[in-house]
Parts: sequence; C-alpha cells; structure tokens
Amino acid sequence: MVNKKEEIVELANNLRWEVGGNFHDSLMESIYKEAGDIVKKTVRKKDEKHAFGFDKKLDKIVTNKWTGFPIMFILLAIVFWITVQGSNYPSQLLSSLLVGDLYETLKGFSHSLAIPQWIDGLLIDGGYLAMAWVISVMLPPMAIFFPLFTLLEDFGYLPRVAFNMDSLFRKAGAHGKQALTMSMGFGCNAAGVIATRVIDSPRERLIAIITNNFSLCNGRWPTQILIATIFIGGLVPANLAGIISAGAVVGVAVLGVVLSLITSWGLSKTVLKGEASTFNLELPPYRPPRVLQTLYTSLIDRTLIVLWRAIVFAFPAGLVIWSVANIHIDGISLADYFINWIDPFAILIGLNGIILLAYVIAIPANEIVIPTILMLTVVHFGLHGVGAGAGVMFQTDSLSATKQLLEAGGWTVLTGVNLMLFSLLHNPCSTTIYTIYEETKSIKWTALSTFLPIVMGIVLCFLVAQIWQLF
Amino acid sequence: MNSFNANCENCPVHNANNLVKLGIDMKDFDFVIALAGNPNTGKSTVFNALTGLRQHTGNWPGKTVTRAEGGFEFNGHKYKIVDLPGTYSLLSTSTDEEVARNFILFGQPDVTVIVADATRLERNLNLILQVLEITDRAVLCLNLMDEAERNGIEIDIRTLSKELGIPVVPTAARQKEGIPDLLQYIDEVATGKYKCKPRRIKKRDPKLQKAIKLLSNELKQLFPNLPNTEWVALRLLEGDQEIIKAIKTGELEHLERTELLSNASDSIKKEKVTI
Amino acid sequence: MNPQTALLIFGMGMLLVMFLFYPEKGIYYRWKKAILSTERVLIEDALKHLYDCEYRKVNCTLQSIAGNLEISSDKAAKLVQRLESLRLITSENSNLFLTPDGRSYALRVIRVHRLWEKFLADETSVPEIDWHTQAELKEHKLTPAQANALAAKIGNPVIDPHGDPIPTSEGNLPEHVGVLLTTLKTNDVAIITHIEDEPKTIYSQIIALGLHPGMQIRVIENSQTRIVFDAEGDEKILAPSFAANITVELIRDEEEIQKEFNTLSNLKPGEKAEVIRISNALRGQQRRRLMDLGVVPGTIISAEMVNPSGDLIAYRIKDAVIALRKNQTDHIFVKNIEDND
Ligand SMILES: Nc1nc2c(ncn2[C@@H]2O[C@H](COP(=O)(O)OP(=O)(O)O)[C@@H](O)[C@H]2O)c(=O)[nH]1
Ligand SMILES: [Mg+2]
Repeated sequence: MVNKKEEIVELANNLRWEVGGNFHDSLMESIYKEAGDIVKKTVRKKDEKHAFGFDKKLDKIVTNKWTGFPIMFILLAIVFWITVQGSNYPSQLLSSLLVGDLYETLKGFSHSLAIPQWIDGLLIDGGYLAMAWVISVMLPPMAIFFPLFTLLEDFGYLPRVAFNMDSLFRKAGAHGKQALTMSMGFGCNAAGVIATRVIDSPRERLIAIITNNFSLCNGRWPTQILIATIFIGGLVPANLAGIISAGAVVGVAVLGVVLSLITSWGLSKTVLKGEASTFNLELPPYRPPRVLQTLYTSLIDRTLIVLWRAIVFAFPAGLVIWSVANIHIDGISLADYFINWIDPFAILIGLNGIILLAYVIAIPANEIVIPTILMLTVVHFGLHGVGAGAGVMFQTDSLSATKQLLEAGGWTVLTGVNLMLFSLLHNPCSTTIYTIYEETKSIKWTALSTFLPIVMGIVLCFLVAQIWQLF
Repeated sequence: MNSFNANCENCPVHNANNLVKLGIDMKDFDFVIALAGNPNTGKSTVFNALTGLRQHTGNWPGKTVTRAEGGFEFNGHKYKIVDLPGTYSLLSTSTDEEVARNFILFGQPDVTVIVADATRLERNLNLILQVLEITDRAVLCLNLMDEAERNGIEIDIRTLSKELGIPVVPTAARQKEGIPDLLQYIDEVATGKYKCKPRRIKKRDPKLQKAIKLLSNELKQLFPNLPNTEWVALRLLEGDQEIIKAIKTGELEHLERTELLSNASDSIKKEKVTI
Repeated sequence: MNPQTALLIFGMGMLLVMFLFYPEKGIYYRWKKAILSTERVLIEDALKHLYDCEYRKVNCTLQSIAGNLEISSDKAAKLVQRLESLRLITSENSNLFLTPDGRSYALRVIRVHRLWEKFLADETSVPEIDWHTQAELKEHKLTPAQANALAAKIGNPVIDPHGDPIPTSEGNLPEHVGVLLTTLKTNDVAIITHIEDEPKTIYSQIIALGLHPGMQIRVIENSQTRIVFDAEGDEKILAPSFAANITVELIRDEEEIQKEFNTLSNLKPGEKAEVIRISNALRGQQRRRLMDLGVVPGTIISAEMVNPSGDLIAYRIKDAVIALRKNQTDHIFVKNIEDND
C-alpha cells in the first residue's frame, strides 16, 4: 500500500516531463473554452450598447483629462474639510468631559479614599490622563473621516482615483492604489496600513505600507498647526500670520507626499527590487452607497479597532510618562537624566532633549507629544505658576502662554521648524508599528518602516539646523 | 423587476421565521458551509444576510477581511458558515487561493456556496468550474441579479443549472432577494435530498489529458471512492505539497470515508463534527 | 561645535558609508564575496564546469578550469588534485572527466541553480540579468532537502527560465535537443528554446534585445557577418558569435506558425481585438493573474478608456473593466477585429 502511494507520486513526477512546463496555460484555455460554451447557451444580452450606460458616462467625466483631477481634489478636500470642521466641537466636548470633569472626579474620589499619592499619580495622572487625551483628540476625526471615505469606496469611486493617479505612482515604482492608502494615512497611519490590503501585488503593497507614515496623520496635524502658528506665524505681520502658518503646515504635508514618492522609488529600486510585482486594477460598476450600513461597519471595522489599540498602548505610556517625571535617583528625576544626556545631540539636530524624550515616551500616540513636552519643560526648568505638577500632562489656555513657556524652555524659530519636520519624519506610533507587523508578519519590514523615517528625520533636521546656523 | 423570485413569494420556504440568524454563536452545528467566489461579487453581503452579522463590505475588488465565520439555523438544522477569501482562481500558490482550495478539499464543507456576479458570468465560471472539480456538493448563488436585469442581461437559470449539474439560485443579496431560495437549496444539498452532478472540465490538451487519465486511474485503484480523482491528479501534476502529503499519510482515504458518511444520518454527522 | 565642522564631519561620514556599502564595489560587498568563495564553492564550480563540457561534448582541462573559475593555474592544479582524491574526477592525458559520483554531485548543484533561477523568474521581480549571479551564490547553500522543498514550493518545474531542463532529485536529465541559431537558413521559423547565460556580457546584450525562450523567430538573412531575424514582429540583428549562444527548435508545422504580432498595447480606445497568445516574457504570478482574469487565446478585448495622463488604459475583458499597464499589454499578442455592431 505504502509503495503504491509512493509510486503514484513518482508517476506524477515523471509525467510532468512529458506534459511540459506550460500545462497550466492549456488548462486555463480549456476552462475558458468551457465557460464560453456555457455562456453561449445561457446568457442573452439585450441592447449591449446601452448596458452600463450610466457607468460609462460617469467614467468619462471622472477620468477625463480636464475634469478628472479637479473632481478628485475637490472630493478629497470636501472630505478633509468636513472632518476638520465636524470634529472640532465633539473634540472639545470630549476633552472637557474626559480630561476635565471625569479627571477631577477621579482625583476627588481617590483623595476621599486616601489612596497613596504615588498610586493616584501613576494611575490617574499617568495612565488615565494619557488615555483620555488620546480618545478625545483621536475619536472625533476618525469617526467622521472613515465613514466618509467608506461611502466613496462603497460608491465605487476610489478605484477611479487609483486609475487617475497611477501614472505618477508607476513612475515612483508604486501602485495607483497607493494614492488611496496615502489618503487614508492622513486620517490614521494604522488604518492606512490596513487599507493596503487592496493592493494585491506583494512589492507595491510593501512599498505602500512602509511609506504610509509619510502621510501626516490626524494625530500630528494639531502639533503642526500649533507650532506653525507660534513660530512661523510670529515671523510675519499679524494680518498675514494666519495664511503663512497655514501655508507652512500644508507645506510640511506636501513635503511628506513628495518624500513618500521618493522613498517609494528608492525602495522599489533597492531593498524591494526583488519582490514579486503584478498589476491589474479592476474598475467595478458604480453602486449606490448604503449610508447606515457604512456608518456602522466603518465605525466598527476601522475607527473602534484603531482606537482600541491606541488605548491599549496609551495607558502604559501614561504610566511611563508619569514615572520618568516622578522617580528620582539621587534627587534627579529619570527624565532629567535622559534630557541632560541627550541634549548635546538634540541641539546638534536643532531640537532639544525634552522633545526627544517626549517622542520616545509618547510613542503610542502623536496626540500626546505636545502635552508631554509642556509638562517636561515645566518640570525640567522648575517653572512656577504653570502646569499641573510633575508627570501630569496639560494644555495651556492660550497660544501666548504656550509660546512663553516654550521660549522659557529655550525654543527658537529653528526649534519650531525642526519640530515640524521631526513630527513628520519620525517613527510611526506604536499602534501603526504593531499594525505593520500584523500585516507583514515580518520583523525586517517592521523595523525598516520604523527606523527609516527616524534616520531621515534626524538627517534632515541636522542639515537644516547646521545650514541655518551658517547664516 | 424581481421576476426571478416573485413566483415563490408565498410558498412556505419564504417564511422568514424559518431562518434564525445565529451571528457568531456556532455551537453544535449540523452542517458546514463554505462561501467561495470572486472578489466583489457580494460574498460578504450574502454572509451577512445569512448570519445577521455585519462584515465589512466594500465596492473594491480586494480583500477586506481574511476569513470570517458565522452561524444560522434553518429548517431545524444548525449551520456554520465560513466566508473564504475572494479569489479569481484556485490553481496558484497565493495564500488566499491555498486557503480556499484546501478548505474546500480538506475542510469538507457539506455545501460550498459559490457566489457569482451575474453580470460577469463568463469570468466567474472560471472559479465555478474549478470548485466543481473539487467538490460535488455545491450551490451557485447567482448574485447581483438586479444589476444584470438593469443592464439587459438575461440568464437562463434552468439551463445553467443543468449545464453545471448543481442548483442555481438568482439573488440580489443587498436587497435580501432570493435568500430564502438559497437557504432551501443549501438545505437540500446538505441533507442529500438534491444530488449534484457537477460538470467536470474537459482537458483539451491531449498530452495533459493522457497524463491525467493515467494518474486518475491509478488513484481510483488506490482510493476507489474518491469523487474527484481528476482534480487530485491535476494537483499532483502541479506538485501540490498538501495533496502529496495527503496521499502519503492516507488522509485522502479519510476524505472518501466521510464522503460516505455525509449520506448517513445527522446524528453520526454530529459526532464527527464535535470530535 | 560650529556648523562648518559639523557639516564636514557629516559629509565625511556619508562618504565612509558609501565606501563601505556601495553595491558591488563597496568593502562590505567584497568582504562578503570573499568569505563565500570557500573550498566547497571551488569544488562545486569545477564539477559544474566539467559537467558542462560533458554535456556540450568538448574536452575539459586544468587550464579551462582555471579560466572558468578565474583562479591561478597553481590553485587550479591543487583543486584538481583534491577532486581526484575525493574520487569525483579522473584524468586521462590532461583531459578531465567526471566519475559517476562527480556527475551526480554536479547535477545536484545544477539542480539548485536552475531551481533558483526559476524561482527568481516566477516568484520575484529580480531582473533577468541578475538571475544567474544570484543562483551562482545560492547553489552552494541549499541542502538536497532544502532544494526539494524549494522545488515543491514552485510546483516542481521541469524547465528553467533560460530553457534548460532542471535535473530531477535523482539526477535525471533529458537529452539535449535543438540546434544553434547560426545553423538556420533564410525563412526558417523556429522557437527559441535556450539562451546561454554565460558569459554575462554576451547574455546581457541578448536579453537587452528582448529575446527570451518561447519566442518565435523567422530568419531574414544569415551571412558570415550577421544574422538578421524577425522576433515576434521586431527585426533583430546579431553577430554570429552572439547567435551561437542561442538554441532554437524549428517549427515545421505551418499551422503552428504565428503570423501576426500586433500587441494589445496598440489597441486604441473603442477598438476590439482577439487574444492570440501571451508572450513568455510574462511569467509567474503576472501571467497567472492575467489568465485568471480571462486573458486567454480567443478572448475578445476592447479598449475602454484612458486615464487623464494618457498612459494607462482600461480594457473590457469578459464584461469586467480592468486597467492594465503597458509593460503587460506589450506582451499580449492580438489580432484586431472589426466592430460590426
Ligand atoms: N446592486 C447590488 N449590489 C450588491 C449586491 N450584493 C452585494 N452588492 C454590493 O457589492 C459590493 C461588494 O459586496 P461585498 O459583499 O463586499 O463583496 P465581496 O468582496 O464578495 O465580499 C458592495 O458594494 C455591496 O453593497 C446585490 O445583490 N445587488
Ligand atoms: Mg468581502
């Protein structure tokens, strides 16, 4: 019996020589021949000319030489505009609720129970606060952005965007669909990385994953806007400040897109040169989107899952943030040790030790980088009258107060500019890193996606700082 | 417009009470159903209509979820349903196709429901014919019938069913049309009331034909009850490791035995499943 | 630190990195190559060379080994001694021959080499010109068991991408068939079955012409100085010394000769065509995916629309609208058909 089994396998091995290498081709031909026969007997098309007439007409417009791109940019602009406008109010509400009222209540509660101060600090000032911060900044824009995007997807418009953009991405060695995963990245890089599943070519998918971090995500926009308003807007007369600082933020985002294309090109020519690559882009028929179902699934599938991961990572980060500011060795806090140690290097690249420390410990979410920087600045320089205590993240009430505080921490225009660059070019947040690992199942690609932007950021900040000082 | 199932609007199977959506509660199921199909044909929509779950659906030919499972109860039988990755074919080495192929062969679903796009039947037939090579218990869910009708595409369901040798159910899953018929046929095939006679592909290349005949004759001697020797022979030629392993370890014999089991009573079936 | 010094140090650092890691010339690359050229590698390369001589029915000597492996005669002599003591080769008036053990060893190495080339061709995007080089490194690294696993993974192929047969794990290999391109007469039609991948300089020029196994050619002129032929619609010219590296098989059956070489990429929006064949230049995943989508001989395809930049065309293939890039449609042969509705 066993011999017989081996014999069959052996027979197959020998037959393979006779059949030749290309029998797969002839098999596919047989299958399609048969399919054709069946279709001939069973399918009748009336009026083939006018079938899918609506699709054809709409496609003429959205892929037209003159109207294709404007329609695309207007639609994307509308999505972003609704997201920004729509999330303002809920964000404030959530913030005053979670970071304000609930925080106070929790503090009061723990005081009434006489819980030891360090436990109270660690859990409430550290863990809880970081979590609350992330939720209030992250949830509203995501809950608006993703459903809108999903509606466009459900309608069938997104593949047309890929079709329109493919020329540019092909030149960068990437897939047209990367235009979409990049756009998703502007909402959230982790969601952008998940969205790369629609790219079915292995190499182009990896490229899209590794470069997604160059899309300035929703967690980084507030940082950009704040710093640009303070440092760049401050350079010009008040009536121009708004437009110039907005221009600077957009400039950074565009720089991100350009770097993402350049990096894609570089990757496709070097480390990813050998990965398999195929291309086909199916343009499905348009379908009326189902609004309610879309709202539900995009909330569950994208927003909540990403949010959940952020919370899981944010809580421990809050613990660390509080600890480094509160654990002292020989009277010096851990934070100060690190800041003093890294400061010379940080100055060399036009930043400071506090910023680097903030980026290290706030790795779970870009949203808490600025509050962490403010807290560390107050603690490190022993400033009085501001802040909420060691290890407690906070926001100031006004721009000018933030500006004063940062200047007291030794910030210059160069620090501001470099922070904007570094905020664009540093490691992805831990949620995104984790997602990249989940999607690629490869330590190598996860490490590359993590360290490539950091190295680029350090080099760019260094060059800017040194050249700045030349003049 | 909904002519394709209007004729049966008030027959008993259309009583929605017969369908109990179980969501992800899949304990003690009697039958396993696999859901196969090209990407973007409405597989997830069918899955959701059957289970009451809300898998992400999207108008994108690309995978959004890897594998989903759910359950429902119909006519007193509990079903577990597995949404396989959407693929264009089952012949290549890509992970998606491997998962789908191996599940249909080794997972031994009691029914494989193939969801096809009625507006692109010819291309979908590529996958349909391949699935029919592997299994002889399948139902074709001809979805997106509303789109087909809107665009003047008429499909002769009865002839198609005769050609393929399996039940063909026209549906518009998004509007939940045709789902009751689909359930009915799933039930009939699962319980063995409906005997499928799946169409098998005629290999036109004489050299390939000869090789497959030779191999499948050998296989028939070794595994007399194996229903799909030609497919196994083909996979052997392609050097499919799973198949070679299954031959060497005798797992294929196991497949033929359960082939017999499926005709036996439900209670035996249940035992097999819970082991 | 003042900015000048900082930038200077940075610049020097970058230069150092370049110096260390520059592809092919950098120190790291050379060092890696050096540690790879161990005794095992020399032995295996020598056996391969001897097998090649045997297959082509020419004589092999110590000198030819030295030349082929790019080592000194002294070193080659030592190597030959070592091979003889291992009973892998024997010598007879300065001609060297493989023993049965040596032959089966050589075949094992060749098997890995060709399997790896097939893997690179089908499952990766490594450029054609690098297949051989990478396989040269890989062939010394895989154990027979690993080679079998690799073969299984890629479907136990029988022919490598250069058209050479891949030895089975038992070391079987079919007879050498085909004739050299140089032997063809005017108007002969043939299929390329093999392109010799060594030396690299000649090989790179042949593939730069876009020639590949599976391609149909028709000889236009064959003289002392050059061979002119039509390769699937394009005229190519080769010097006889280059053409001698190409093996072909004559097509005698008039039916099998393909006469039209219009490609899908020439189809303008609104036009229709029928697929005749997918060129062998589309391999592996790319080829399979196209066939899955219904691009098989006999399929009617119409060009549907062009993207705004004018370089991506969407086609209607079996009722689905699918955009394909030019680098694919260039390799799909079609014949135009009149639109008569
Ligand atoms: N008009 C219509 N649209 C449908 C039908 N079934 C599914 N769809 C839509 O087709 C698209 C793809 O569906 P989905 O279930 O995600 O397909 P899958 O990729 O096969 O899982 C979605 O936009 C669905 O809303 C149907 O019967 N009629
Ligand atoms: Mg789906």
